[in-house]
Order: sequence, then C-alpha cells, then structure tokens
Amino acid sequence: MRSKLEIIFISISFIFTTFLFIIIGSLFVIPSPQGFVESLFSNEMMSALKITLSTSILAAFFVMLVAVPTAYSLSRYQFPLKSLVKSILDLPMAFPEIVLGIALLMILGDQFLGNFLESIGINIVFTTAGIIIAQFFVALPYAVRILYSTFNYVNPRFEFVSRSLGYGEFETFKNITLPLAKGGIFASSVVTLARCIGTFAAVLLVGGGTYLKTETLPIAIYYNLSLGNIDNAITAAILLVLISFVAIFVLEKYAYQNIEGMG
Amino acid sequence: MCMFLEVRNLSVDLGQFHLDNVSLNLEKNDYLVIIGPTGSGKSVLLETIAGFFSPDDGQIFLEGNEITNLTPENRGISIVYQDYVLFPHMNVFDNIAYGLKKKTNDKDIIESKVKNIAKLLKIDHLLHRNPETLSGGEKQRAAIARSLIVEPKILLMDEPFAALDVNTHSYLTSLIKNVIIQHQTTCIHVSHNFNDVYNLAEHVAVMKDGKILQQGTLHDVFSRPSHNYVADFVGVHNVFQGKIVAHDKSLLKIEISPELIIFSSDDFVHESKEVMVAIRPESIIFSNERFVSSVRNQLKGVVKNMFEVGHTVWIEVQVKDVMFKGVLTPNSCQSLEIKKEKEIYLSFKSLNVNLMDCYE
Repeated sequence: MRSKLEIIFISISFIFTTFLFIIIGSLFVIPSPQGFVESLFSNEMMSALKITLSTSILAAFFVMLVAVPTAYSLSRYQFPLKSLVKSILDLPMAFPEIVLGIALLMILGDQFLGNFLESIGINIVFTTAGIIIAQFFVALPYAVRILYSTFNYVNPRFEFVSRSLGYGEFETFKNITLPLAKGGIFASSVVTLARCIGTFAAVLLVGGGTYLKTETLPIAIYYNLSLGNIDNAITAAILLVLISFVAIFVLEKYAYQNIEGMG
Repeated sequence: MCMFLEVRNLSVDLGQFHLDNVSLNLEKNDYLVIIGPTGSGKSVLLETIAGFFSPDDGQIFLEGNEITNLTPENRGISIVYQDYVLFPHMNVFDNIAYGLKKKTNDKDIIESKVKNIAKLLKIDHLLHRNPETLSGGEKQRAAIARSLIVEPKILLMDEPFAALDVNTHSYLTSLIKNVIIQHQTTCIHVSHNFNDVYNLAEHVAVMKDGKILQQGTLHDVFSRPSHNYVADFVGVHNVFQGKIVAHDKSLLKIEISPELIIFSSDDFVHESKEVMVAIRPESIIFSNERFVSSVRNQLKGVVKNMFEVGHTVWIEVQVKDVMFKGVLTPNSCQSLEIKKEKEIYLSFKSLNVNLMDCYE
C-alpha cells in the first residue's frame, strides 16, 4: 500500500515527465516526412552536423584534458587562492553563455590576444578554432564540477595505501585514482560533449555562424527559424535531440556501473 | 643504541585534528598499541609516520635514518585501515599482489608469495573473489595480507578490528598475532578496544588532544598511570586530587580530603605537593571488621550504591566525603552480606596507591 506522500510525489514526476515527453515528441510530429528528409540531406544540414560533431568532440577532448588535473588538484591539494580558483571556474555556469561569448570575442578579436595571434598568422575569430574555444570555455566548468565531486568521492585512503605499498604519486593516480573515478570521468565526458554540441550564443559570436563554414546545428535552428524555413529548423532540432538521446543513453548505461565501491 | 623508530617532538595541524609535540620510541619487533578517545590524533599520528602528512615541526627516524621528508613509497611502512580499503577494481589476488608487483615482475614468485600469505591468513580459497563479496573479517585479512606481503619495516594498523563482530574480532586477534610473530613485524596498532591492548600489546601509549600522555609497558600504563586522564581512561576509577602532607622514607602521607589521609609508597617524584591519586578498584579488599595486617590503608565507610556488571558486583563506598569504587564477585558480596547503607571496611596496600601528574 503506497502512502499519500508517495502517490503525490510519483504523480508529480509522471505528470511533468509526460509534458516534457510530449513537448520533445512534438518535434517529430510537426514536420512533413518529405520536408524532413529533404532538409536532412541538404548541404546546410550535413555541413552543420559535421561541424557540430567534429568541433564538439575536439573541444570535449581538450576540456577533459584540462578538467581532470584541475578537478583533482581542487579535490586533493591545498594551495593559495584555491577558493578563488573554484569560484572563477564556477562563474560561467551562473551567467548566460552570451556573456562568455562577448568576452571571448573581445580578447580574441581585434584587441589584446587577437592582435598578437593575427601577427603570427593564427586566426581564431569566425573560424572552427573559434567554435572549439567557445565550446571549451562553456563546457569546462561543468566538467570540472562533475570531476571535482567524483574525486571527492574517491576515498584518499586508497591512494595512501597504494603509496605505502611502494607506488609513486603518478603511478597511484594511474593505477588507483583513475580506475576508481572512471564512472565520473565517463559521465563528465558525456555531459561535456552534450554541452559542447548544444553551445549556441558563444559559438555564434566567436565562430560567426558562417553558412557551410562555421554554422553548427544550434545556429542552423536559429538562422532557419529567422528565415521562416521551419522544416530545416525542426530537422536540426531533431538531430540535436537524437544526439543528446544517444549521449544520455550511453551515460545511463555505463557511467554509473563503477560508482559503487569508490567510497 | 638508537631506537628502531623514533618520533621526536612531532607537531601537525590539520585543522580538525592535530598532533602537539608528540614523541614516541619503538624497538624492532615491538608491538605498540595506541589508545585514546576519538579525535585524539591517533590516526593522524599513524598517517604522519607513514608520510601522508608533512609535519609542521619535529622529526621521524627509522633505523637511525631521518625519514621526515621521505615520500610514503620510500619509507617501507605499510598501513591497514578499519574500513579495509581493498581496491574494488581488483580481485583479492590482485589486491594482495599489488605491492609485490612493484618489487618484482616474476609471476611465479608473486603467485607463490600471495598463496603463502593467503594460506597463513586462511583466505587462500578467496583469491579469485571480488572484495565486495567478502565478509568483514575476510576483507580485513586480505588487507593485512596485502600490507604484510611487501615485508614492511613497520606495519601500521588503524583500528583494524573495529568494524568486526566480537567472535571475528577474537579469532582475528589470535590469527594476526601469530602471523605478525612469524613475520617478525614491528607494529603500531591504534585501538579503542582494551582486549586488543591485553592480547597484543607489548607497549601501550595513551593519547589525548594530540598529545601522548603516557607510553610504557602494559603493566606500567595500567597499574601506574602517570596522569589522571590515563588512570580514568584505563579504568582505574578511583582517581582523587590530593596533597602530600608528610614524607617518611618511602611512605607518603596524602590528604585526599580535609578529614581523610591515605598512605602511598609510590616512588613518584614531583616538585609540587599537589598530586593525583589512583587506586584500582580490584586492589581494594572489603571486610566487615578491621583486621591486623601489613595493609597500610584501612578505612571505614558506608555502602552507597551497588550494581552488577557481567559476573562482577561494583560497589560504591563513601568514606568521609570521598567515594571509593570497588569490585568483587557475587559470592563475596553475599558472604559479606553487603547492602546499601551498611558499614564496611576498605583495605588497600600503600603499594597500590599510585601518584601521578594532574592533567587538565
């Protein structure tokens, strides 16, 4: 016999999950099948898909490369200005990504770093490199946040025991910490990839959203909607939903398998 | 001759836990049990000796060589924790072999050594199992095997039996004792349990608030506590503040209340006349009448309270304004017809009246 509280809470979760499902599912019902197929195989959509996936995978890779040592140092070591570092890393999660986009445009554009990079022949703004940099900075705080919790969850005594048995810091990190944190690292990778794929405003500002060159799927939705090409906009949205669905499915299936026993 | 392990004036501040000027000596093959209340710094002391925390002050010497700034992997000191800390992504065999693999690549040697130690600790049938599927006692034996297989110079054990049931605890205590004797391992064992002290310790140290209050043989610490806190912690129960009022050769006359004088032949030397007095409950003999004997202290009191604890009866007797606590068997209690408000005599030798520092 379920309690009243149980019934109320389960009902709320069901009602709003159903709403969400209907909202997402409507994307798949509204366009005509013919319009969807035409849009899907159009140059613009294929290019946007390719640019989105390639830049996101590269950006997510770089994010993980930086986020793992950053999160580990925040979790394990004491150092000056640690609280400030943590706050700065959390900051981009608190303000709209367009703010980060403007800041990146300022620093990589005609001023400061941009001029220097241009003088040595490197162009960031309005290129795919710009997209990757925007995705990197938008996704980094999320990855660090997840990995920080993951490393906090790994009992430091595992590392102490390994060290006492003759293994150095790096060997212990490789043999013990990383395998114990692999669930969290995997979850962080998937969330980072999803965040990179979904980045819009920062990528639009820094990448420029040039047709067939720096136009990603979220930008494709925005442009096509602005121009009244509803089929194209919805097709891009469906592609994003499908990519996200695969990412979440993989996350649910594999990420939490190794969480137990970490404490 | 230098000590095997010498900890000199070690101070560590980890915020919540700290060590304050801790000194400790240990001889080779010694078994030291450190006891003390939760939060007294016992685990921090072990982890600092192992090299996981850098001391703010002080030095650590092992076999005469300073190891204070040596990394943990270069100290040859293994550690076993209460919560086992078996690596969950390795089976029992790989857990035990982990440290050995750092020393040798020879698979035959690794396999033979792992099987030997597993047999000694009676876990040889569990080697293929995942640690999560083992019982608490099995996990702890695997953790101890993993630490012993690398033949550490010192084995540190942080409450290794605390999470185990009484039967497993008792079984493991004797098993571990044999294995440690066979391996000739020097041990420091942190425990809350006095059975560990009685069954395993050659030396005992009592810690409180990051300080070692007393270190000595089992007999010294339990029979002759040097601080009132140690006396209380090791169960002396009768601990009173007193004043030395006379000193006659080896006999001290101590006033523990304005109307109550007792005698002690403790060789305690202290500049102040203010002392703490400790008398173990089992040192007090009860009788219905005063008797002629060599016993220096015979006091008349009134039974104020009595209660059974297991197979013993504890009685509280008020002498003047001081309450003494004694213990006897139910048979003795019956034959003396002890009951509340009955007058009774307490006798105890001056030898059993220990004097010590006052610890605030």
